[in-house]
Amino acid sequence: MKSAVTYLFLIGLVLVACKKEPVELDLGTVDASRYVAIGTDATAGYSDDALHYDGQISSYANILATQLSATDEVDFNQPLLSENSVGINLNNDAKLVLDHKTDCKDTVSLSPVRIASQGDIAAFSQNTYSSAPFDNLGVPGLSFLDVATVGYGNSSLGAGNYNPYFTRMTSSETNGSILGDALARNPTFFTVMLGDADIMDYATSGGTSGPIPPSSGADGVGFDGTLNAMLLALTGAGAKGAIATIPDVTDFPYFTTIPYNGLTLDADKAQTMNDVFNPIGLSFVEGDNPFTMECDCNQPYNVRKMVEGELILLSIPLDSVKCNGMGSIVPIPDKYVLTLAEINELQTKIDEYNAVIVQLAQTYDLAVVERAELISELKEGIIYNGVAMSTEFVSGGAFSLDGRNLNPKGQALLANKFIAAINAKFNAAIPYADVTKYDGILFP
Amino acid sequence: MTRLLFISALFPLMGIAQGYQVNLQGQFQQGMGGAGTALMYDASALFFNPAGASFVNRSEVTVGMTPTFASGEFTEDNTNATANTTSPVGTPFSAYGLFQLKDSSRLKLGLAVYTPFGSTVELEEGWVGRFALTRLQLRAIFFQPTVSFRITDKIGIGAGFVYSYGAVNLQKDLPLQFQDGTYASAELAGTGHGFGYNVGLYFEPIKSLSFGLTYRSQVNMAISDGTATFTVPSSLEEKFPSGTFASSLPLPQVLTFGVGFKPTDQLGIALDVNYVGWNAYDTLAFDYATNTESLEDTKSARKYENALAFRLGGYYNVTTDLSIRLGLAYAMTPVQDGYVTPETPDANRINYTAGLGYTLGEKFQLDFSILYTQVKREDSNLETGLSGKFKTQVIAPGLSVTYNLY
Repeated sequence: MKSAVTYLFLIGLVLVACKKEPVELDLGTVDASRYVAIGTDATAGYSDDALHYDGQISSYANILATQLSATDEVDFNQPLLSENSVGINLNNDAKLVLDHKTDCKDTVSLSPVRIASQGDIAAFSQNTYSSAPFDNLGVPGLSFLDVATVGYGNSSLGAGNYNPYFTRMTSSETNGSILGDALARNPTFFTVMLGDADIMDYATSGGTSGPIPPSSGADGVGFDGTLNAMLLALTGAGAKGAIATIPDVTDFPYFTTIPYNGLTLDADKAQTMNDVFNPIGLSFVEGDNPFTMECDCNQPYNVRKMVEGELILLSIPLDSVKCNGMGSIVPIPDKYVLTLAEINELQTKIDEYNAVIVQLAQTYDLAVVERAELISELKEGIIYNGVAMSTEFVSGGAFSLDGRNLNPKGQALLANKFIAAINAKFNAAIPYADVTKYDGILFP
Repeated sequence: MTRLLFISALFPLMGIAQGYQVNLQGQFQQGMGGAGTALMYDASALFFNPAGASFVNRSEVTVGMTPTFASGEFTEDNTNATANTTSPVGTPFSAYGLFQLKDSSRLKLGLAVYTPFGSTVELEEGWVGRFALTRLQLRAIFFQPTVSFRITDKIGIGAGFVYSYGAVNLQKDLPLQFQDGTYASAELAGTGHGFGYNVGLYFEPIKSLSFGLTYRSQVNMAISDGTATFTVPSSLEEKFPSGTFASSLPLPQVLTFGVGFKPTDQLGIALDVNYVGWNAYDTLAFDYATNTESLEDTKSARKYENALAFRLGGYYNVTTDLSIRLGLAYAMTPVQDGYVTPETPDANRINYTAGLGYTLGEKFQLDFSILYTQVKREDSNLETGLSGKFKTQVIAPGLSVTYNLY
């Protein structure tokens, strides 16, 4: 009897042991033997307001390269910072992390704070190209106008005239260009995500940076001409590719977190405000009021109240708002606000750029990646295998702590949009990335 | 041995289940596809038909268990990622004592102890559905004192009172991460009890033909003082206060009609039809004593539907000491599309069973059974978005020992 039981046990164990089906990788008509990514912040993995290792590792480009690979060996070279680097941005700041922060009113709350008082400045002066030429040519802040600019990383041109992120990775400071370095890899497959940095440059300056480059114009002038020249070069040797649309950036938490009417006044403060502003025709009530802002308008003292639909940027110094009367007695400077006209300009340009993207994708037979759709979905809120994600700042879990770049989970969602587009276009069955494996917001 | 059985008895397992019901209460019936409402064999009749127990003309004790080996695999649609369940061996168990005051007495008394519901499922670490479930252990043990009365030589009635005691332990990850990237987690643990009954009718118009009708009532396992433990980053501890919770789980009513046919002394055939009131399991709710903006009471739709199961089996007495059994069961799933969860990745299924009975002298009877089933279900859960294919294989060999008191 005992042996009978033992025998039955063994049957059970054998059944447990034999299963495991191999995961298949069907690339369709894609040749992924050399994948090269051209793009801006998202492509580089810039997040938490800095370039840093964790962000680079989980850029959509690196995630896509991982999914394109049938084995664990992923041949996709990135200009990685060192793993323990605090990260770096153009203001020499380190990356943001979530931690307890005491504001001007001595209120302690969880807020994004710099992980170190200074960024990893040395990273800008180390060119890592010699280790190997790079496949991820995502460069933070890259205007599409500069995608073929020779000497784009030439530090001898002086601050503001070159991009130090490219200096780190260019084949040659004086002779290298992003497109040139990309072509030198002889890509068989490429992805492009351009134009978004130009849009964001305008948006994050509150519309105070120069005008957004035109959607139409010659190579080096307009979006269509420049993109066309680049795609012509990239597809010249038969490479296939995918190109991403530009989302409505005004849905990013960077613009949606602080409400235009967040000026909450009690009776006394409302009275004080009225005493000050009634003479120039502005009145305030007890309760919620629109903030005051600077304007180029025909108002006395160039002050007006914000109107519904206008957006306050996350770059606004919150302590000034809380303790020094910014938005009430002191109008919010224009650079922290997107006015209705500026929002309209942004959305018009985004639509124009996207029309160019869709048009050129057709011309060059590229997959169109619905990055715009991803942001719309996040705006509505999605649930991915039990993880709720949205465009909410911090709690939404998809954007990094800078409110304008995706965190690794968001990047994985974006990579899956690439995969969806590539699968559909090129008859492939590339497995999607498991978003839960990538970090969201990390809490102390 | 008995003590050992009791200790390990409380780990029934999902794979065998229809929903989370475990139909492993007697080796004789298990060998015949689970049918036995109209064929009386031993003291396990106390469960299968309290009325039929009065037709078992013995005083005896039967103790059995069925180690259940389930191997599960989940393949997520989007990623092709697979996750295995590493569930411990389940041991549904049953013990019956049937007593008559004198030989051929019309009245029998009995006590049945069994585990009709339960599941233990543990999923591979880091699996894609970790925010739905990482581990679930549901245990329920029923105690059923029973009276069985043979009104005439053709008709019997019986009734048992059911006291149930159960424990649940549910663990899952929360989509919140510590600084090092590890996920927060929640553990909900509690015990509860409930009451119910099991009544039956047995009718034997002629020696070779019998009918059985039983009704096992719904039992609500109410957990009033469960412990909710949240392991979250310290900055979020205020939002996820560990504390108590209340919940309840309905163990559904079962109506069974059975026919038994014995054309010869060697051969018997049984057919049972179960109608299970699964629609009682509409919602899985957790009511936390302390709510915060992040920790609200939850109500998850389960929307189970009433389901049928058909069980067909037969035995053949090779010699006076040896009997062989074969059976087949078709159980329809109570789980609708869109509501499949990792707790019970249920599907319509066919169970294949076989069994063996061996009489050891005057006093002892040994019964073996073995069951094999495979469950495949593809679904996309409406609540969590988890979509993919669940595949479970179950093999459940069982053994019982019956000691004939006189």
